[in-house]
Amino acid sequence: MSYLTIVNSVLEVIILLLIALFVGVLIPGIERKYVHARIQQRIGPPVTSSGLWASIKFLYKENIKPNSPVPGLYKAMPILCFIVVFLVFIALLPLSYGFLAFASLIAIVGFLKVEEIAYVLMGSLSKSVMSAGLRFPDHVKGAERVNTLTSYIEDISSNRSLRMIAFGSFPLYLALFIPAAMCGSIFLGDIVSYQQVHGPFLFSLAGVLGTIVFFIGLMIMLNEYPFNIVKAKADVIEGPYMEFASKYRTFVYVTRGFMIFTLSCLYSVLFLGVAPGLLSLGFIVCIIVALIFVLFMGVFSAFSPVFTNRQFYPVVLVSSVIGVVGVILGLLI
Amino acid sequence: MEEKKAKTQEIIETEIQMGTVHPAALEPYRVRFFVEDEIVKDAEVTIGVNHRGIERIMEGLPVEKANILTEKVCGICSNAHVWNSVRTAELGLGVEIPERALYIRVIMGELERLHSHFLYLAHGCEVLGHETFSMRIFYMRETIMDLLHMVGGNRVQYGCSIIGGVRPRCDLNEAKLAKLSESLDLVEKNLTEFADRFTRDTMVISRITGVGIIPQEQALKLAVSGPTLRATGVKRDLRTDMFEYDNFDFDIITQPDGDVKSNLLMRVLESFEAINILRQAIKNIPEGKVADRFWEMVDTDIIKSYIEVPRGTLYHSYAIEDGRVRGSIIRTPSMANIGAMQYASIGSHITDAQLCIVQCDPCFTCSDRVMEVYDYESHKQLDKSMLGSKILY
Amino acid sequence: MSLKTHSRSKAIHVMLVYTGGCNGCDIEIVNTILSPKFDAEQYSVFLTWNPREADILVVTGPVTKQNRKPLEDIYNAIPNPKLVVAAGACACMGGVYKNIHGDIPSEEIDGPVENVIPVDAKVPGCAVRPQDVLSGVVAALPHLLGAD
Repeated sequence: MSYLTIVNSVLEVIILLLIALFVGVLIPGIERKYVHARIQQRIGPPVTSSGLWASIKFLYKENIKPNSPVPGLYKAMPILCFIVVFLVFIALLPLSYGFLAFASLIAIVGFLKVEEIAYVLMGSLSKSVMSAGLRFPDHVKGAERVNTLTSYIEDISSNRSLRMIAFGSFPLYLALFIPAAMCGSIFLGDIVSYQQVHGPFLFSLAGVLGTIVFFIGLMIMLNEYPFNIVKAKADVIEGPYMEFASKYRTFVYVTRGFMIFTLSCLYSVLFLGVAPGLLSLGFIVCIIVALIFVLFMGVFSAFSPVFTNRQFYPVVLVSSVIGVVGVILGLLI
Repeated sequence: MEEKKAKTQEIIETEIQMGTVHPAALEPYRVRFFVEDEIVKDAEVTIGVNHRGIERIMEGLPVEKANILTEKVCGICSNAHVWNSVRTAELGLGVEIPERALYIRVIMGELERLHSHFLYLAHGCEVLGHETFSMRIFYMRETIMDLLHMVGGNRVQYGCSIIGGVRPRCDLNEAKLAKLSESLDLVEKNLTEFADRFTRDTMVISRITGVGIIPQEQALKLAVSGPTLRATGVKRDLRTDMFEYDNFDFDIITQPDGDVKSNLLMRVLESFEAINILRQAIKNIPEGKVADRFWEMVDTDIIKSYIEVPRGTLYHSYAIEDGRVRGSIIRTPSMANIGAMQYASIGSHITDAQLCIVQCDPCFTCSDRVMEVYDYESHKQLDKSMLGSKILY
Repeated sequence: MSLKTHSRSKAIHVMLVYTGGCNGCDIEIVNTILSPKFDAEQYSVFLTWNPREADILVVTGPVTKQNRKPLEDIYNAIPNPKLVVAAGACACMGGVYKNIHGDIPSEEIDGPVENVIPVDAKVPGCAVRPQDVLSGVVAALPHLLGAD
């Protein structure tokens, strides 16, 4: 590989990353203003407010030390999440299809697992003032707590994310392997080229099932509204993110939008066979897919309450069954 | 159904504390959930951070001033407090109240019931995580707030009642009555649409059915009051005993189950009933003056008055000496419902546990009182050493 | 207008702390933020319950002795720059709870809010009108925008 190619590739990645980040920070605003606010019959915030300007604003806040037993590790977590999502994003670009082990479904599943484990760590490391930190008069005066272990509310959210790793991410991973079953390869390059010959997987029965399962898995992965038990406002307030301030909160904000965009790119690579290259229509297709996902996610989240385990397990079970059926259909073709 | 029991403390693993500042609670109070694997095994609601000693401030104030002060007990049912405090004085002094004033008091009381129930529904939906429904109800509630603003002159605290009637500024003319009935039509239409939409939403219904059940015997044992009691199937409403409501024809709504669904539907149905009472009041409101100022101040013994407010039974009592208040006691309905909140949250998931507390319509800012516990048999004040043996779960 | 000032004016996170008022102001404020009629979000004011995210702390109620510590804790948890808006008569001057019989200070109240944490803007009213809260937040904004 010549020197020029490397420079070109790096430039392309940087430009694509900037575009992706820009779309990513606009996504929360689009969801809030054009979907939620419209459904709730109000004007809603400016599109740029809740994503773009909020992220910039937090850069200028005081970098306060988080209430955490290991502040360094806790503060590293959002950066780790960002790097992981960035790696997934690079793996989806056509220029990395040559690196077989990197641009494969196994690698992507691995990266996403890291993201999930980060939630567990963040939850258990955050000790916010809003839970056990708010000392009630009886404790201040020295009341005993008999035979109990006082736990912060973020610990619940950490437990929940652990449970999420065990079962919550099934739908997404099953959906990822439907295209692999259909073309018989786990390498992204093969999947894209197979679809360019045979037409997108979306237009087959297995592909449709895969799309449904992918969408549910996407919402679970992002902790979007009905599945946001990890950060449900009614009990754990903000869950793992409670203690992030200033630029670390910016990372949290940016990573969320970026992750929606990256997972949309993943969808268009796997089910539409469109790779997000710089000088191609593929990137525009990815942006459109992201917007469609955001639209559906917004509608779905505006009309549903938070799911507790009682509703969560059946949803995951049913979508996993659909996913398994999709994989079997894919293998039969 | 079998009785749910709090486990003894030795088995309990983890304690989760929520409050004093928490999005689901809003008011300052603390709830301790003792959980095993996210299932609440025992709950403890502690209040007391809000105590401002309003009865102490009332002590020795002229009766008229003390009456106005009572509306600062609670910002949600402020009218009810003034109403009951004024009613206490009127009962003691034997004041005749003009018929028109009684009607206006009922109109204010029912408007307040509507606004309180809407607030309950909206807050319930918010804790449920359903932002759209809560927005929808808050939007409906604004119509009621406008009406309250029109009649009382303020959005929240409108000292409407005075001894002998209501304030002249709260008098209703033809235009105001027309506006009132017009807005009620709108509210009823919106509420009907909301109720249809709400009961057809399978996701919401599956979330709230069978959560936080309070059985009927348990509710009676805990002396639960108001809509929370009626949601367990007990037909008890103090409005049937109040002379203000003699001329009105209304049903007592009950619901069978005592879970969150019953409680929410209870409020919706009661709102329709409140609209019904308001319609009757607007139709039959008599002419005449709104306040009778010719009453005489005398010293009285302790006077007690109970009325039905949106959250249950409200109790005010004081004696009058030289035109001043002595020994004022206020007992708010949420005080009685705290036991139900703790009971309802046992056995549910933590996310539902907050819902179980909200289903009893808590208003801790008004229920923070100093309490003295007396032994039932010996009428002696209980001290710490006796508490351990006497008070059982 | 620099990027810092502009971004701060475009995304304002408000946190609310009740310190023992009568619920009147509290519900009015939460309503302002929430209800579609006033819809504070259209002025890019967002309600948050996390002190680490907040810019503006709206305090209601006379600070009761028991509530002093939580209020101070939450105030200290908010990263700089931050503003405090005292909303309602109780938060501004103690309201009806401040004194017993005119001049005896009540032993329950530690307030007004000024005695506990520095206050940047005061919104009068019993209960505050939603419009007044919005204008109070807007009046305090220059302090926030100009801060380092």
